[in-house]
Amino acid sequence: MKRNISKIKISSVFLTLLISAPAIIIFLYLFIGHSDNWQHLKDTLLFTYISNSLYIMVGVAILTTILGFTTAYLTSIYTFKFSKFFHYALILPFAIPTYIVAYIYGGMFNVAGTVTQFVLHTIGKNINEVPFFDIMSIEGAILVMSFVLYPYVYLICKSYLSFESASIIDAAKTFNLSSWQILRKVIIPISRPAIVAGVTLAVMEAVADFGVMDYFGVNTFVTGIFKTWFGMGSINDAAKLASILMTFVFLLIVLERIQRRNRVFKSSGKDFKPIDKVKLTGFKAFLAIFACFIPFFFGFLLPFGQLSYWFAITYKDIIDEEFMQILYQTLTLAIISSTIITAMALLFVYNIRKSKDKTSSILTQIVKLGYSIPGAVIAVGILSFFSFLDKYVIDFFTSSYIISGTILAIVFGYCVRFLAIGINNFEAGFSRIPQTYDDAAKMLNVNERRTFFTIFAPLLKNSAFSAFIIVFIEVIKELPLTMILRPFNYDTLAILALELTQQSQYAESSVPSMFILLIGMISVLLLAKNMNKA
Amino acid sequence: MIKRIALSAVILASSLFASGEVNVYSHRHYDTDKKLFKMFEDKTGIKVNVVKAKASALIKRIETEGKKSPADVLITVDAGRLYQAKKEGILQPIHSDYLIKNIPANLRDKDNEWFGVTIRSRVTAYKIGSGMKDKLSTYEDLADPKFKGQLMVRSSNSIYNQSLMAAMIAHHGKDYAIKWAKGVVSNLAASPKGNDIYQVKAIANGIGKVALVNTYYVGKMAGNNDLSQAESVKQIKVFFPKFENGGTHINISGAAVTKYAPNKENAVKFIEFLTSKEAQKIFTQENFEYPVLKGVQNTDIAKAWGTFTPDSISLNELGKYNKEAVMAFDVAGWK
Repeated sequence: MKRNISKIKISSVFLTLLISAPAIIIFLYLFIGHSDNWQHLKDTLLFTYISNSLYIMVGVAILTTILGFTTAYLTSIYTFKFSKFFHYALILPFAIPTYIVAYIYGGMFNVAGTVTQFVLHTIGKNINEVPFFDIMSIEGAILVMSFVLYPYVYLICKSYLSFESASIIDAAKTFNLSSWQILRKVIIPISRPAIVAGVTLAVMEAVADFGVMDYFGVNTFVTGIFKTWFGMGSINDAAKLASILMTFVFLLIVLERIQRRNRVFKSSGKDFKPIDKVKLTGFKAFLAIFACFIPFFFGFLLPFGQLSYWFAITYKDIIDEEFMQILYQTLTLAIISSTIITAMALLFVYNIRKSKDKTSSILTQIVKLGYSIPGAVIAVGILSFFSFLDKYVIDFFTSSYIISGTILAIVFGYCVRFLAIGINNFEAGFSRIPQTYDDAAKMLNVNERRTFFTIFAPLLKNSAFSAFIIVFIEVIKELPLTMILRPFNYDTLAILALELTQQSQYAESSVPSMFILLIGMISVLLLAKNMNKA
Repeated sequence: MIKRIALSAVILASSLFASGEVNVYSHRHYDTDKKLFKMFEDKTGIKVNVVKAKASALIKRIETEGKKSPADVLITVDAGRLYQAKKEGILQPIHSDYLIKNIPANLRDKDNEWFGVTIRSRVTAYKIGSGMKDKLSTYEDLADPKFKGQLMVRSSNSIYNQSLMAAMIAHHGKDYAIKWAKGVVSNLAASPKGNDIYQVKAIANGIGKVALVNTYYVGKMAGNNDLSQAESVKQIKVFFPKFENGGTHINISGAAVTKYAPNKENAVKFIEFLTSKEAQKIFTQENFEYPVLKGVQNTDIAKAWGTFTPDSISLNELGKYNKEAVMAFDVAGWK
């Protein structure tokens, strides 16, 4: 008799338990008795944390949708001057860490910023005499986050519009509808799942951010978590706040799933012929260029300009042998982690595809939760988990401390945090492969391994590539988790950049930031190229 | 394969415990420290291994690592976290005649579980020509309505503000401290945000006239490659306020030996080195901090700020009241 439970299923259940262990540990803190700190939180800031976090989620959702969808729509349906350039350029903001953009924008546009002061000087006015939008505010934080995070929406919508929906859009064109009607009646409705998938990632990232919110003076769940932990010395209450945040995000994921299930556009799987693009000229072309230029300019060009200037005046002081060692460490860490995460994500999604049961699907959603928990909180969960393993399991073999404080702990941390990205990519990839392929393989009695390698693997190459690249960039940018779990004498580019900014050496911090950006840029260009080939 | 990985992990881990090393968990992240660690290595042949992160995270890490922790020395940027580490039971007393003789009693733990390494003072900076010079006096006075719309402060997440508030509680009690914080909040020129550099830039550019800052930031801004920082510093001056019943608020960067330190002897040697004359000179000259060791000269920049009498309360108080300080900020609406 054939075994009902496959090896894949067993490994995916085991991995789910392993990966979600830190999150579960954090969640368990919810049930540790309430302290007076908790009452204090409820009396003072809890409501602010909730309302500000919601405000940021809604704000980032709206703005990233507008920026990401508009640009994806324009570059996939039309050609215009520079449209090829924008195809690549619009992903670039993704390569700069958000907190670096926040520092740069603060330095330019806050009340004392260089741009603000230049404008005031030019018009001969005092700051108190003119209406002034302070970038260092909650609205400013939403703006900065959105300019850096919209590529999530852009990427997913773009690949969806360019290929999967091509036949529908082409069909709609034959009904002699105007472009506006096609957009409103066809493109927007069918793009909804793609938009929501991108926005969910952007919102999760925004709500887990600490650097920007702390610098801009915005109280959110995450700043609250740190204040409760570092300021009041209560890790229990900090973990409770983190659990509430997790619950919040879980609901978000569930909502996303529900709406995707109802609305998902099923590909016939016959052909993925690229869309026939319409050429724009004149004023329309100008408008399209303008719409693409705005997010590119604010998300990339402006911060890039500032970084380049600082880089030019400081690189000689920073680049030395030690810096090259840090660069090497960062790259190896990112390559190892992205490879492992991509492989794991594939296993999870393949298991859902094969077993088609609800449990596998729910387990995968739980694994995704890690993306919404701030890195530092995950680190605490991992420390507790590993210290348990070290004490009770590893103890049999050695008296040394072998897991925490090693590269293994960091890579595990990345798996917890970034597996969601890999899974999202593969889910999109698998949804493009018609079920008939599986059925055919079954009917022809082709074994599992052969089915996977001859049918799925070639079709999933692109998803695997984009999962790898996006995780790679995220790992290069990651900060708090690496900081807390790292071994001795182990720096990464992101850590070096942060340390220099903390020493008020903003100009010098541009050097590691620039390298992060360059590595990100190269990866992003590969990604865009790959999207072209898809 | 798994065996091989486990074996190399064990080799990696055991190399951390080799003699002739000292393992440092530090909250400080300055180039001066890197230089000092190198000096210590050259002088003693003892290799310094470092992990840098926020103090609370490092304390949690030492705590969960327990008896197997490779950490020998914990360095923080404030006395409050050392107080907390002591309370968690992860430190041990240091027996060093040198340290006890040279570090003043108010800058170390009463059971010698931690020692101050450098001093920072939290003071006010004001814009030259703004008429504030004659108005400034005590910390308490900052809550006076005469400063309405003129103060700049960073958020209450900052450990420096938390320590100042803890000192206020130590001097006057919690109720007074809340009232004081409310007064300060109603005098603000803008909502709390940014770091100390932002506060200085803001008053230099006419947003408010007085800012709460740590002196060493002002020193570091003066020669910065980011010219807007250097320009801003030219337009401000430092004023040392006092508590009504005390002196100017100070805090320390401090060091401690962890309870299960595998290289205890080296750890003590290391802390003694940090408080030696040659090391103190570097902290003072290059990072604009004040020395804990008597007889070490300040930089000309620091001398130009003037002299001050440090507050005399024990730094233990800062740790003792840190949590209450955070709560007082929340109640007072200091973001």
